[in-house]
Amino acid sequence: MVASSARWKWSWALRALLLLLLGGAYLAVARGGNAYLERLAILFLINLMLVVSLNLFTGLTGVFSLGHIGFMALGAYTSAILTLPVALKAVNLPDLPPPLNSFALPFLPALLLGGLIVMIIAILIGIPLLRLSGHFVAVATLGFLIITRVVLINAEAFTRGTRTFSGVPPFTTLGWAALWAALNLYVAWRVKHSPLGLQLIAARDDPWGARGSGVDIPRIRQIAFGISAFFTGIAGGLWAHFLTAFSPNAFYFSKTFEIIVMMIVGGMGSISGSVLGTLLVMASTEILRNLEPGFAIGPWMFGPLYGLSQIGLAVLLILLITFRRQGLLGDQELRTEAIAERLALWLERRKATVGALRARKADPSSS
Amino acid sequence: MRPLHRWSALALVFLMAAAACQPAAPLAATPTAAPVASPAPAETPMAKEPIRIGAPFNLTGGMASIDVPAANGARLAAEEINAAGGVMGRPIELLIRDTKTDPATAATVVTQLIEQDKVVAVIGFNDSDYVLAAGPICQRAGIPFITVGATSPRLPGQVGDMLFLTPFGDNVQAAVGAEFAFEKFGKTAYLLWDKGAEYTTVLAKYFKARFTELGGTIVLEDTYQSGDKDFSAQIAKVKALPQQPDFYYISALPDDVGTIVKQFRNAGITGPIVGGDGYDTPLLVQVAGPAAENVFFTTHSLLTADSPNEKVRKFVAAYKQKYGTEPEAVFAALGYDAVYVLAEAIRRAGSTDGQAIKQALENIRDFPAVTGVINYSPQSHIPQKGVTVIEVKGGKFTLAAERVPQKVPAP
Amino acid sequence: MSMIGSLGFWIQQLINALGLGSQYALMAVGLAMVFAVMRLINFAHGTVMMAGAYIGLLLLQHGWPFSAVVIGAIAGAAALGLLIERIAYRPVRGAPDVALLLNSFAVAVFLENMAILLFSPRSRPFPMPALLTQVLHIGGNLFLPSIHLWAFGSAMFALGALALFVTRTRLGLAMRAAAENPTAAQLLGIEIGKVTMLAFAIGSAMAGLAVILWIAHVGTINPTMGFEPVLKAFVACVIGGFGTIPGAVLGGYLLGALEILLQGFLPSGIVGYRDAFVYGILILILLVRPGGVLGYLEAERV
Repeated sequence: MVASSARWKWSWALRALLLLLLGGAYLAVARGGNAYLERLAILFLINLMLVVSLNLFTGLTGVFSLGHIGFMALGAYTSAILTLPVALKAVNLPDLPPPLNSFALPFLPALLLGGLIVMIIAILIGIPLLRLSGHFVAVATLGFLIITRVVLINAEAFTRGTRTFSGVPPFTTLGWAALWAALNLYVAWRVKHSPLGLQLIAARDDPWGARGSGVDIPRIRQIAFGISAFFTGIAGGLWAHFLTAFSPNAFYFSKTFEIIVMMIVGGMGSISGSVLGTLLVMASTEILRNLEPGFAIGPWMFGPLYGLSQIGLAVLLILLITFRRQGLLGDQELRTEAIAERLALWLERRKATVGALRARKADPSSS
Repeated sequence: MRPLHRWSALALVFLMAAAACQPAAPLAATPTAAPVASPAPAETPMAKEPIRIGAPFNLTGGMASIDVPAANGARLAAEEINAAGGVMGRPIELLIRDTKTDPATAATVVTQLIEQDKVVAVIGFNDSDYVLAAGPICQRAGIPFITVGATSPRLPGQVGDMLFLTPFGDNVQAAVGAEFAFEKFGKTAYLLWDKGAEYTTVLAKYFKARFTELGGTIVLEDTYQSGDKDFSAQIAKVKALPQQPDFYYISALPDDVGTIVKQFRNAGITGPIVGGDGYDTPLLVQVAGPAAENVFFTTHSLLTADSPNEKVRKFVAAYKQKYGTEPEAVFAALGYDAVYVLAEAIRRAGSTDGQAIKQALENIRDFPAVTGVINYSPQSHIPQKGVTVIEVKGGKFTLAAERVPQKVPAP
Repeated sequence: MSMIGSLGFWIQQLINALGLGSQYALMAVGLAMVFAVMRLINFAHGTVMMAGAYIGLLLLQHGWPFSAVVIGAIAGAAALGLLIERIAYRPVRGAPDVALLLNSFAVAVFLENMAILLFSPRSRPFPMPALLTQVLHIGGNLFLPSIHLWAFGSAMFALGALALFVTRTRLGLAMRAAAENPTAAQLLGIEIGKVTMLAFAIGSAMAGLAVILWIAHVGTINPTMGFEPVLKAFVACVIGGFGTIPGAVLGGYLLGALEILLQGFLPSGIVGYRDAFVYGILILILLVRPGGVLGYLEAERV
């Protein structure tokens, strides 16, 4: 066993290093003046929020939601309607009912209202849906996703229908995205390690046992669903004010698939896994996408291979599910304490091996 | 923890393998997978630094069947221009990128094209979703952006003065469709449109506005969703009308027009069917066959191998030679024209500066393109061009009229 | 509106509903077959349909007679189904349902993008013999596309043949046993692996048959054409009762009737909400009768 003081020391050193790296990365992107990197970073943070909130529900309950992108859509449209300048409303949304057409909110209240409305909707639809068991919740939430899209397409007074909703003020900065992602991570972490989180995990792993010990499963699932939907709605709002123009087509199956892949790659139920999964999937997508116009391996030229990034991602997912079904981290977390312990152990062993080798070298007769 | 190590090693190998594949030396508009090309002869313009033009399109996903022909047309134009000596003695390098039918990817790709690839202008996209996601980025960077096929007349107002359209606005072709049909067929119409797409929605709205303004009546209005392939319920409603309308205006995407016309005709509806430039695809006749007779649609020009317009004949032949198929949709010609008009503007500007190109574009007058004569002005970044009305006769597209609308619905 | 009152209109919409329902039923049967044995909602079913369509088109372009094209499309789809089972599903047998579902998503994305690379994303016409595309005008204003008859006949044939197969043949019985209780079936000496392969082969062959009839109705094919059909098949299975073949067929007809009715009778102001009603009803069915109209699955409630 490694001395606990060494472990403690390493753990804090790692934490400091991690913070330093994060701060450095933030500054490098924010001050670096590379708009491409900055876009990717903001997109990463928004995707991270989507993945962490989905994981907060699906990972902890084991119940698959295919409807979260519907929450994202509702959050995006709600906050965008609220912040759209009044003059633009008159042009873009002439049929918007009063009083919505006579005011525009600043970013933060609009985001929060968007998140809250989505949360209320989630809790309301959760009352009947979350009584169903696993498979059926997936089907029902898929239905919700499709219904959301149909409503967005038809509620033209609010959304312009399939016509692009444009002119949303570009409020989402790297700072806003980082702040919300950090808050989301913190809340997810606290929920997972709270009594509620423990109850959820117990209900996931042994529903009969949990019920036997007095856990009200539908109620705790609803709470998780609501929190998850709130942050998904906020992520939708951030996305809307990042892209500034979108239509209902953006919130459908391909986005749903993308977010689920990120969650699975990281590990269902693992928050640090979500970070890794989002990072790995986005990095490989972006690298493969940059190879699509044509690339060379040694003397061979390939290309253009449009669609390579989707194919690569599909193969990655199949390989992952075949060889490491639980994702990178399963439902475990990367803890600095655990890493520190392994690090200390490894150092100790290495010291021992090096010592032994030296001893052997010094005494050639022993071979 | 052990399997974690194994997996992270695997992930690392994957990332390293991906990184090891170096992006190839830019292919100057020659995307064929050839073994390393021999160096270009020194006297060709290829020796000089190329003019880089960004060309983002949705080459995969739901928009692909529309965007791929557009990208093909653009690529063909760039190759022709380079074969003829390039622009200002420099070759054009068209950076064709796939944006996956995803607006967020569209914005990322356009940012990368401007920031890293240093393109001097951008052409691309056939749908407002992507134009409006990418447009503001070009606007902020001062990079001219010509959209190939997005036809919403409100786009320049929504994006700014860096945006230009290759086609006419939908309000123009819808007005011509309404006026033509009103005069030729009569005062009552049936209106069906695809509620899942912006183009079809906008076209139907403008048609209705102009047709009712003329004094026409829409006797029945109905919709379907993109992806629907069965129109029997809609057809039964039409057939149950006490009296058939004078004509049927159906606003549909190229992939669906053949299917819709076929199913309408099969049900015994024989009256004239009228539509927009979505009908300008060989699929219409290929799928509907003899059922496509008595179909009329508004479009940019008569895109056939025997067209009286020499430019069109040349384009159709070159496209067929390069891609082994006739232009799949009018977007192929629009992509071709976008590159040519941009090259002309760069030539006139004598510079690759964004403002200079923009001003040169605004001074383009009577530019003979495949899809008609293009005129821009500082007031209008939507080309003022005539609308061609096509009739399907004997299984072929024939010219029914060439007209300018008497009145255009406000965008 | 006056037209809704006419009897002819009702009969016409009934014909339409039966025609569309037959198409959905055929799509759903293959999906149900695989689900029964593997508990897998095989989202790749639609891309198998798409692949069958391209195989058919290639054979047609090589001058094969139409009957051979149909057989080729069916056999090709079955072979692809087996290949997918071998590569993507067999290695993860016994994994949670979700892992299998995601693999089927991945297979669908993979095949769709491969098809885009191989065939280009453009839509292609698929010429069909007149036998499948002619329209019979039966009295008054009524019309009956012959494809409706073909689809109806095929759906009934599939229902009958599969019912006979699972009740009267050894293999079929083994399959049913494996579907109802895999562990017990294994103890009785049934090789689950073989049964699964058989289910995949039959299910994918059904996809091949379904797609030929679907194209006869639509006229074109493209790489993304599998998406809507698999969604419809899936909804049909949920409505009818997942995992049973009669349930899938009934679900197909109910979905077809629902879509036609809503499209036909909703006033034009709200007809755009058609799919919202369809999926609203789907959710209602899940809440009231989670096993579907014919389902034997007793949904566990928590």
